[in-house]
Amino acid sequence: MAAFVIRRLVWLPILLFFVSVITFALGLYGPGDPVQVMLGMHANPETIERLRHEYGFDQPFYIQYLNYVANALQGNFGYSLVKYRDQPVGVLIAEKLPATIQLNLVAILLGCAIGVPLGLVAGLKRDTWLDLVVRGIVVAGISFPIIFLNPVLTFIFSRRHEFTLAATNFTFSIGPFLPMVQGHWDGLFSPKIILPAFIESLGVIAVLTRQMRAGMIEVLSEDYIRTARAKGLRERVVVVRHAMRNALIPIATILGLMLGGLVAGSFLVENWFDVPGVGQLAFDALISRDYYVIMALTLLIAVAYILANLFVDVLYGFLDPRIRQS
Amino acid sequence: MATLLEVKDLRTEFHTQDGVVHAVNGVSFAVDEGETLGLVGESGCGKSVSVLSVMRLIPIPPGKIAGGQVLFQGRDLLAVDDEEIRSVRGNKIAMVFQDPMTSLNPVLTIGTQISEALELHLGMTKEQARKRSVELLKMVGIPEAENRLDDYPHQFSGGMRQRVMIAMALSCSPQLLIADEPTTALDVTIQAQIVDIVKRLKRELGMAVIWITHDLGVIAGLADRINVMYAGFVIESASNKEIFANPVHPYTLGLLGSIPRLDEAHKAKLTPIEGLPPDLIEMPKGCPFYDRCRFRAERCASENPPLELAGVRHWVACWNWQDVQKKRGPVGVR
Repeated sequence: MAAFVIRRLVWLPILLFFVSVITFALGLYGPGDPVQVMLGMHANPETIERLRHEYGFDQPFYIQYLNYVANALQGNFGYSLVKYRDQPVGVLIAEKLPATIQLNLVAILLGCAIGVPLGLVAGLKRDTWLDLVVRGIVVAGISFPIIFLNPVLTFIFSRRHEFTLAATNFTFSIGPFLPMVQGHWDGLFSPKIILPAFIESLGVIAVLTRQMRAGMIEVLSEDYIRTARAKGLRERVVVVRHAMRNALIPIATILGLMLGGLVAGSFLVENWFDVPGVGQLAFDALISRDYYVIMALTLLIAVAYILANLFVDVLYGFLDPRIRQS
Repeated sequence: MATLLEVKDLRTEFHTQDGVVHAVNGVSFAVDEGETLGLVGESGCGKSVSVLSVMRLIPIPPGKIAGGQVLFQGRDLLAVDDEEIRSVRGNKIAMVFQDPMTSLNPVLTIGTQISEALELHLGMTKEQARKRSVELLKMVGIPEAENRLDDYPHQFSGGMRQRVMIAMALSCSPQLLIADEPTTALDVTIQAQIVDIVKRLKRELGMAVIWITHDLGVIAGLADRINVMYAGFVIESASNKEIFANPVHPYTLGLLGSIPRLDEAHKAKLTPIEGLPPDLIEMPKGCPFYDRCRFRAERCASENPPLELAGVRHWVACWNWQDVQKKRGPVGVR
């Protein structure tokens, strides 16, 4: 197992090299220029040239890249060029990361708590109306775009709704059900996290429900389930002890991979709810061509996914005795 | 001896998109205490479905037990509630399945899987069940049983897994063991070992056995009675000796002609049964074996023969069995 982990870790720098070269090249050769963004459309061409020279943007690609790598290896990931001018990128990301991780964590937990039971029920009650309803929810969940859900769910859950009964002229109001984040972020244990986390969890719910449903259906048709029933076990024991354990193995894999996504913020959710996270930072950096911020975030996400993959492979060995052996 | 299990006119069907598959069409048989009954026939003839129906392990839907009675110690298992059938399963009637590679749960240890039934039916504590599991594994000849309880199924070979399955089935000392082609997925030397184990344990524990196989050779040294099944019908039923010495159904003859014999000339050819069994969705009106039968007559196309007596406790479903008996030539006495 140790040899396996080390072999995988050796791949890490190689993968990072390719990721960094591609991201760097895209930033440099793509349209737009941070200096142009900094100085505005009517800036003096000479000033622009001077600033480009100062930042080293007039140097050839490989020099710029090597400089970047040399600095990065010393822990210096450059400075923000535009919105957070001259702040070190490392500090910026460290500042923004907690909110994103908190939000994603709650989204994943919410996704599990909703997705796994939904899938279980759908799988057990296959082809009944219950299954149909669950599948409908899943399809709706992944089909409604976040950009639509953001305003609609915000309107429904965080606004006051007033109704007047025409006959009695009696007015009553309900809501708000959930507070909005806007203004300030209170972190993990504030109810403000529920709405953005729920919207982010819809994707998780869809994936987990589908996997759990398919897994249960597959496992329930296995010979060992018939063996378990032939022993005279109660259906509940058959499902929980014999079927669910097997159906949960792929779920654990998916969740492990999702851990990689913990550090990747959602542009749409974080911006709409004003969550001071990495997603907002990345969004700002992208529209203002803030090279170094984009670079650092891309590398961070790449490392996170690579490590998550490794983690899943190790985890799988613990969950599945057949793999543990080999 | 007293009758342990009596199946009367059992009908099981499967409702599929293509139509109703008539898998078992009025099967009747009985097993006495301590008796071994062989159910023989080719794939899809309803052997497994019959015994799965007895245990009510047919998946419903698409399956449906459309009629009949399964009297076990006087109780109709098809009429009792779920609670009661569960108290019979694995306790009074236990089952060993065909493929030991897929019949054990890959994520649970062997110990857990054997202990389950002990804790459930005999109310043993975890430790008692563990102790008994070791005894059971020893009984089926698994070496170092103490150290193997915490192993997972994939750490056993196919033959060893089938031994585990047998240990599991015998854990509550059932009165009836149903073995559904337990040797089919194993190679021949292992087959012989498994047959020997079951024979020995049957003698020691005095249980009755229903042994399902498509291979008359396997059953020859094992069964007291043999039921030959075809297209969901029992078409011939007689004692072991009688089936081999005096088969009177053309299909049984065909089955016997298709197993190699040690006492025949070296170059003697095996005779396959030409053709295929009938479509179980659109069952023929007459004898289901009509299309493949060498002895068929006009009557066979329109009327399905019922079982009739052809000797001492020897039943056959054929209009022309007397003709078959005359014309079949020597069958050889074992």
